[in-house]
Amino acid sequence: MDLLLDIIRLVVSVVIAYVVVFAAALANIVFERRTLAFMQDRHGPNRVGPHGIFQSVADAFKMMGKEDFRPALADPWIFTLAPIMVMIGAVAVQLTMPYTKGFTPADLNVGLIYIVAVTSFTTMAILLGGWASRNKYSLVGALRSAAQMVSYEIPMILALLIVAMVVGSFSLDAVVDAQADYRWIALYMPFTFLLYAIAAIAELNRGPFDLPESESELVSGYGTEYSGMRFGMFFLNEYAGMTIMSMVAVTLFLGGWHGPFEDALVVGGVAIVPLVWFLLKTYVLVFALVWVRLSIPRLQVDQLMAFAWKVLIPLGLLNIALTAAVMLWVPRWRWGLFVVGWVSFFAFVGLLDPILKRRLRKQRERVPVVTS
Amino acid sequence: MGLQVGTLKMTMDEIAADVVRDFGGDLENVRVQEPDTIVARLAREKLKDVATRLKAHPDLAYETLNWIAGVDLGSQLESVYHVFSWRTNTWIELHVAVPRAKAEVDSVTGIWPAADWHERESWDMVGIRYLGHPDLRRILLKDDFVGHPLRKDYVDLAENHPHV
Amino acid sequence: MFDHFATPEPDEAVKLALRRIEERAAAGHGSDMEGLAFNEVVVNMGPQHPSTHGVLRLVVTLDGELVKDVIPVIGYLHRCKEKLAEKRTYYQYIPIVDRTEYVAGMNCEWAYAMTVEKLMGIRPTRRAEFIRVIVGELSRIASHLVAVGTFTADLSPLGTAMVFYMFRDREKVLDLLEEVSGARMMFNYFRFGGVRYDLPDGWVEKCRDVMKGMPKLVEEYESLVDDNAVFLQRTVGKGVITQQDVMDYGITGPNARASGVELDLRRTRPYSVYPELEFEVCTAQHGDIFDRYRVRMEELRQSVKIIEQCLDMLPRGPVQVGSLRAPYVITPPPGSCYVGQENPRGEYGTYIVSDGSRYPYRLKFRDPCFCNLQLFPKLLRGTKIADAVAISGSIDLVLGGIDR
Repeated sequence: MDLLLDIIRLVVSVVIAYVVVFAAALANIVFERRTLAFMQDRHGPNRVGPHGIFQSVADAFKMMGKEDFRPALADPWIFTLAPIMVMIGAVAVQLTMPYTKGFTPADLNVGLIYIVAVTSFTTMAILLGGWASRNKYSLVGALRSAAQMVSYEIPMILALLIVAMVVGSFSLDAVVDAQADYRWIALYMPFTFLLYAIAAIAELNRGPFDLPESESELVSGYGTEYSGMRFGMFFLNEYAGMTIMSMVAVTLFLGGWHGPFEDALVVGGVAIVPLVWFLLKTYVLVFALVWVRLSIPRLQVDQLMAFAWKVLIPLGLLNIALTAAVMLWVPRWRWGLFVVGWVSFFAFVGLLDPILKRRLRKQRERVPVVTS
Repeated sequence: MGLQVGTLKMTMDEIAADVVRDFGGDLENVRVQEPDTIVARLAREKLKDVATRLKAHPDLAYETLNWIAGVDLGSQLESVYHVFSWRTNTWIELHVAVPRAKAEVDSVTGIWPAADWHERESWDMVGIRYLGHPDLRRILLKDDFVGHPLRKDYVDLAENHPHV
Repeated sequence: MFDHFATPEPDEAVKLALRRIEERAAAGHGSDMEGLAFNEVVVNMGPQHPSTHGVLRLVVTLDGELVKDVIPVIGYLHRCKEKLAEKRTYYQYIPIVDRTEYVAGMNCEWAYAMTVEKLMGIRPTRRAEFIRVIVGELSRIASHLVAVGTFTADLSPLGTAMVFYMFRDREKVLDLLEEVSGARMMFNYFRFGGVRYDLPDGWVEKCRDVMKGMPKLVEEYESLVDDNAVFLQRTVGKGVITQQDVMDYGITGPNARASGVELDLRRTRPYSVYPELEFEVCTAQHGDIFDRYRVRMEELRQSVKIIEQCLDMLPRGPVQVGSLRAPYVITPPPGSCYVGQENPRGEYGTYIVSDGSRYPYRLKFRDPCFCNLQLFPKLLRGTKIADAVAISGSIDLVLGGIDR
């Protein structure tokens, strides 16, 4: 009997995971296009359905109807495998999300490590796809993607470590529980949250870190040779990733499903109101992702790497040391972390910009225009 | 401060007089085209030498090549050089006659780097071969195009562009 | 069996790039990796590429992200304009000139009209001169908006926002030009000795309104990127054109002025009524990408200033020499002449040889982009791909003019 229940639970979870991934991807595409259009003073897609909300459904059907095309010189197996693999990460992460009070499809005791492990799958797929395409743009895009993942995984893990330190567990349920009563981790460790957010955007390959497919340089990077539904899978994954990274961020830093009126409406043991809070918080972050993409120009490869290795990783390590020190020696360590977190947050935000500009000014003086 | 335009105030007649004084042996028919251009003819053997001296001239210093045009005059071809002098803020236009039968003239890329593409264009369009040019390929037309379309005797045939 | 996917035989440019790689490898400048003869790949950027602004093709030799060598290949938009001139009367040729640098058609027509007028020895009427300056500067505003907009779009989606803002405002300028000439891009508006139509009723007020709003819009654009650290990081100190380059390669226009060279034909070789107008030649000191962008933004302001002065000074009178009906056939006396004019991209001029017939005997364009593009290999060598894209955007090429 228990086995049967487990199997039913598993099937339901997987179905939910798939539904969430695809629905999120389709919704995000329209959401982003409309938001960007609004910010850029134009209309955006508004023909299919009310306010164009079915635009991406129509696009998905169009993509499925396209010819299944493969370049003659591409590696047939890997070229086919890559778009299939690319979704694994997104779906697998979904399985451990604590959606609401009393509903976590699979509460792993190593949830944090699991998230880090499976999200890298996407990069593997991108690397394979770019390599198998036999296209130089694809190859450069894929290599950029790999380099970027390797670099930004580290600050991300450093940020996640702090969460594990504060909570004392790797389980996502435990993380959410620890954030009850508005003790959201982002509220007293904003700097850690910022580190995580930057690394997560880089992991997502989204602007300003969208180098693997930077369309003005590499046509469309690793996806240059892909068309039809194969391209569609990469595309869906990218947009599903927005939601998933936001969900992870909400769970780890913004209190998960916690919010007012948690027990107001319970249907079959599943609380509905926390689910709404969870989705609401997620979409605030998705909006922030769109906003960031619009307002920051794309970095350059060397600048991107320098930012990870020379800025984020040292700061991440320093942050861990500070947090550990505070937790060890300060009696009411949450307040200690609050002070340290906000001070370092403002120091980072306030100092980065002037330091960068000063360096640029100096660099500029070094190149003479007048030669004769 | 580097590069400035028109630091040396000279009238066109003075400049023309200077040109005649220093290059009178090589340049023929030196005349002033109002408001600010000196036009002269030049034998093609002397082109490189004169160009070097024009560029190195202490006052006039014709340092920047503006453009080169190949012209088919019927009996002969002509390569026209338009060169700018920063100091006097004037131009000089050199007309170099090139015989039709042996359409060759020395390249001036070594003197004025800007000449590179202009010479390629002139070769492409009018068929003047610039000797000593580092990379004299067609520039606007396809690699396998036959003939030089801006010559007056050019006849457009299907064979001239094989890949269309 | 016929292979649909066979890689085509490399053309001359690719062969040249490959040859240069081998030469470098032979000279010991190849790979630093053990066992590899060379690790450089030849990539065709263009003619279909999102950031080449037309059909420019760059054969780029890449070593990883590093650009080792660049060979520009042009001619994909070649429309035989110089050949067409042989079979068109001077009058018929005006619309074709529009299509050379299609982003600033008015300025191109102006240069052509000036050359023919010089050949014929006629001067346009005073009112026509002022109208020419107004439409020319409007055209310059429209062109700079396109240039800066597309350049920032190469850098990021932020630039895409900039493009939309700029095109929104360019629309106002194009509406003005449309009311004057009847067309938005291919104007066919200049005539020898004047312009085709007088300004319509109420146009001056409309133009004044648009110009009044313009400086505020420029400020809006500047607020988007000028202080953005990432934008600065991408543009400051990169792609430096030195003054020696300006001299060697005949660089003109904003690209030269960004290097501190005060070369502006409106001042140094004054034509039309520019000597009577007050404006500054905008220059910058460092010659990098950011300075080129800044110079263009400043020029937007100066153009607004010029137009406002012209609107104030606009005299009454005819807009055509002689009768209003243009002379459809003109025959300039035999001779040749060249007149250069300050296009938004630099010195644009036409060299015309006339044999006294109704057709130009030989017509040659001196196109600023053609000359600026020559500098590309030197400018791009040793940069990153991303830099290369930013630099080529900042040079502002229009392929219609380059390929003719």
